[in-house]
Amino acid sequence: MNQLWIPFAAAGAVFVGAAIIFGADWDTPPVDSVQIGYRGSGMVQVLDREDQAALKVANAVLEPAYQPDPAGPRANEVYQNVQVLGHLSEDEFNELMFDITQWVSPVEGCNYCHNPDDLASDEVYTKVVSRRMLQMTQHINEDWQPHVAQTGVTCYTCHRGQTLPANVWAKDSGPGEKGRAVGWRGGQNIVNKLAANTSLPTDALESYLLGEKNIRVHSLTALPDGTNKNTVKETEESWALMMHMSESLGVGCITCHNTRAFNDWDQSPTQRVTAWHGIRLTRDLNNAFMTPMEPVFPANRKGPEGDVFKVSCNTCHNGVQKPMYGASMLENYVKSLGTQTERGVPDFNLWKEGETKVLAPTNTSSLAPASGAEEKALASAD
Amino acid sequence: MEYQNIFTQIQVRGPVEAGIPLPRGDDERIGKPIYNKLAGWMGYAQIGPIYLGFLGTASLIAGTIWFVIVGMNMLASVGWDPIQFIRQLFWLALEPPPAKYGLGIPPLNEGGWYIISSVFLLAAVLMWWARVYIRARALGLGTHVFWAFGSAIFLFLCLGLFRPLMMGSWAEAVPYGIFPHLDWTAAFSIRYGNLYYNPFHCLSIAFLYGSVLLFAMHAATILAVTRYGGEREVEQITDRGTASERAALFWRWTMGFNATMESIHRWAWWFAVLTPITGGIGILLTGTVVDNWYLWGMKHGLVAPLPDLWPTVVDPAIGG
Amino acid sequence: MALLSFERKYRVRGGTLIGGDLFDFWVGPFYVGFFGLTTVFFAGLGTALMAYGAALGPTWNIWRISIAPPDLSYGLGLAPLAEGGLWQIITICAIGAFVSWALREVEICRKLGMGFHVPAAFAVAIFAYVTLVVIRPILMGAWGHGFPYGIFSHLDWVSNVGYQYLHFHYNPAHMLAVTLFFTTTMALAMHGGLILSASNPGRDGTLYNNPNEVKSPEHEDTFFRDIIGYSVGTLGIHRLGLVLALNAGFWSAVCIVISGPLWNKGWPEWWNWWLDLPIWS
Repeated sequence: MNQLWIPFAAAGAVFVGAAIIFGADWDTPPVDSVQIGYRGSGMVQVLDREDQAALKVANAVLEPAYQPDPAGPRANEVYQNVQVLGHLSEDEFNELMFDITQWVSPVEGCNYCHNPDDLASDEVYTKVVSRRMLQMTQHINEDWQPHVAQTGVTCYTCHRGQTLPANVWAKDSGPGEKGRAVGWRGGQNIVNKLAANTSLPTDALESYLLGEKNIRVHSLTALPDGTNKNTVKETEESWALMMHMSESLGVGCITCHNTRAFNDWDQSPTQRVTAWHGIRLTRDLNNAFMTPMEPVFPANRKGPEGDVFKVSCNTCHNGVQKPMYGASMLENYVKSLGTQTERGVPDFNLWKEGETKVLAPTNTSSLAPASGAEEKALASAD
Repeated sequence: MEYQNIFTQIQVRGPVEAGIPLPRGDDERIGKPIYNKLAGWMGYAQIGPIYLGFLGTASLIAGTIWFVIVGMNMLASVGWDPIQFIRQLFWLALEPPPAKYGLGIPPLNEGGWYIISSVFLLAAVLMWWARVYIRARALGLGTHVFWAFGSAIFLFLCLGLFRPLMMGSWAEAVPYGIFPHLDWTAAFSIRYGNLYYNPFHCLSIAFLYGSVLLFAMHAATILAVTRYGGEREVEQITDRGTASERAALFWRWTMGFNATMESIHRWAWWFAVLTPITGGIGILLTGTVVDNWYLWGMKHGLVAPLPDLWPTVVDPAIGG
Repeated sequence: MALLSFERKYRVRGGTLIGGDLFDFWVGPFYVGFFGLTTVFFAGLGTALMAYGAALGPTWNIWRISIAPPDLSYGLGLAPLAEGGLWQIITICAIGAFVSWALREVEICRKLGMGFHVPAAFAVAIFAYVTLVVIRPILMGAWGHGFPYGIFSHLDWVSNVGYQYLHFHYNPAHMLAVTLFFTTTMALAMHGGLILSASNPGRDGTLYNNPNEVKSPEHEDTFFRDIIGYSVGTLGIHRLGLVLALNAGFWSAVCIVISGPLWNKGWPEWWNWWLDLPIWS
């Protein structure tokens, strides 16, 4: 009679065992491995063939709808309120509009951004956002070549046929943090979806991809000289960012580091330099493009704490080291998305839903904050 | 195979052993002993009785208070959601206070609970430690287990008390949580430039692996001579029998050296005890005396040379 | 070398697995046997090749010497000596020496009429080593997945392989192995301490229960029952210790052999099966 626990324990063990065997996402050999470091250093990236095959399918590029005619009148001569793409021919402009619809709102169609009765009107918030996103794409392709090289990005790099890119983030301090007598977590110790599901600090993206918190935690001298005040907590937060980067790219730490000396650039693969620029690129996008647009986004396009969704490494990379496996979609759109045409930023506070017909930069000759932020980002020393 | 003594094949059920009589003034042992068949396959089937006494009872109470404080904070940290408490249990923790409070008293809900619970945990551990001493003396035994326990407590104190004091901040302590303490451990190694290059970490690992190796060697040797009564070790120590002789000769013939029935336990004790002692020293040196163990290893010629595979890589923050 | 006082009567012929009486002799304290010779051969050759590898390398500093496995590009084929071939031959020598040593232990067990627990236990350690340098490399398709033979270079390998999976502490088999290592060490401390405390009860300050007198297993059992309510017993502690120690080694081997062949993501993600159990919603 007091043996009743045995069938229950057995059933529980079977259930958990089955969940581990069938529920965990096990891979099977053979695997592909890529040697990164010197032989025997253990710097080897291991890739599961089935996972890679699935990722390749999910990361295929889209071709342009057709080859547009570059001749003819300019778009800003034919249409009203064309602020960024006015230099394209009418045909190029329409072809790009068609492609953008495929990239961003294939289900919702043109009306996702346009008032069908007045295509030129800026009264729909998504149109204002889209224009800024076009500027952002141009900015990335022109000013962030240390990260995106000639491959560049298009709207599709992030959007992948969805109005909201699949991998964005917003501030979320989670439950149990504020105004209670118990339950303080110190900003960590909960499932952190943005850091590979570890229990590492949850505000790492906010600290490093929005703020400019120092990522580097190591001392450059063997013995303490009293200058390095970083504790294990700062290290954990920095590591959370690194976890996020690794997960976003589908790689391990060894893609950028010889982990015997994480901080040592002399032992680091070249990818670390690319990643360094990527951090600053992401920070630039969040500060110069995403956050200033907060006034125009509706509540359902904001996070639980009311801030706009933001960009992380995963927004473009989507689990792949080189987005779209390094294939360039930009090469078909160099004229439209390859260089910056209009650097001006409108005052988003002026925009009113259903009313604003034209939201244009107040002073087009003003310094673009985008490039300013970039210089600042490049100068920051972490 | 029947002589290999892998498990107990016939479990005898006689009267339970009450234990050696206790000195006057001691409490009664409590709990009516029971037989457990599962335990009987491996060792004795008898479970209980136990001597709790004042120290044991107080230690369990203090330990329970620590446990409950940690658990309630974990539960509160997921907004008192019992399902999420179970689901995320391994991720949850009671976190030490932030560095800004140094060695001061933090607010209750910003590390205060951690400090309070730690006091109870320390009290529980120390009372249990004292109890081990007193129980050994009550039976007229030496205090070797007490001192071995002390070495583990030394490591515990290095992590939670001595090093935070030396670093001047309670934030240096380890969070109470499953995954969080693993995050802490790994981040500790990263922050201080790779603990693998900490020679005391090397020693501690060597003693840890050495202890496991020693226990495997010793336990296997004894089991291999149980057919000669080798498991009666104290008797073999005082009155050497053929079991001891064969066990000794096995190792002498294998590796040219043998311990004795007594000295093997000294080897065992020292290996086990030196594991936390060297580990604790390694912890105390980290951040206080050495800030980057990899660079310390460079300085002292420990780092294996590697060819420069990426000569073009320079820190982009320099002269950007 | 002088024999131990009781040794002569145990030095009898027989018990060999191979070679009959031919190699059934001692050199000093060492028993030789056929497998003694193979042990010396493999160990000697392996050590000499390591010295050769060190001579080819940039340093004679014992901490810095590293004999690295081949590049992955050699796959499961042979590599030139200076480019990992040495590592391959040294690995063969190591396995040969370890297995010879284990078989020699079997012969000694037979000669002494002992159980085979020690060679069986050693086999688990050999299995763990073979897992690292043979089984896992074969599953992953290249000898280059083995670890380098060097004091600190093998730690660099551990570090890098661990961080390929982002946070190796989340590997469930690693958790189990580490727990078993700590538990085994704790059990060893308790066992060693208990035997020493029974055989060295102390001369002064002992108030009760016959000071100075060596204590019996009954005292040992009572001590642990008083402390934690259970004594596993004189026989049981050795079974328990062996089970714990062997499991520590076994699960260590498991934790690395699943990393790569059966798992290519970060280990923290492994726990998604738990987070995604249908019982939560």
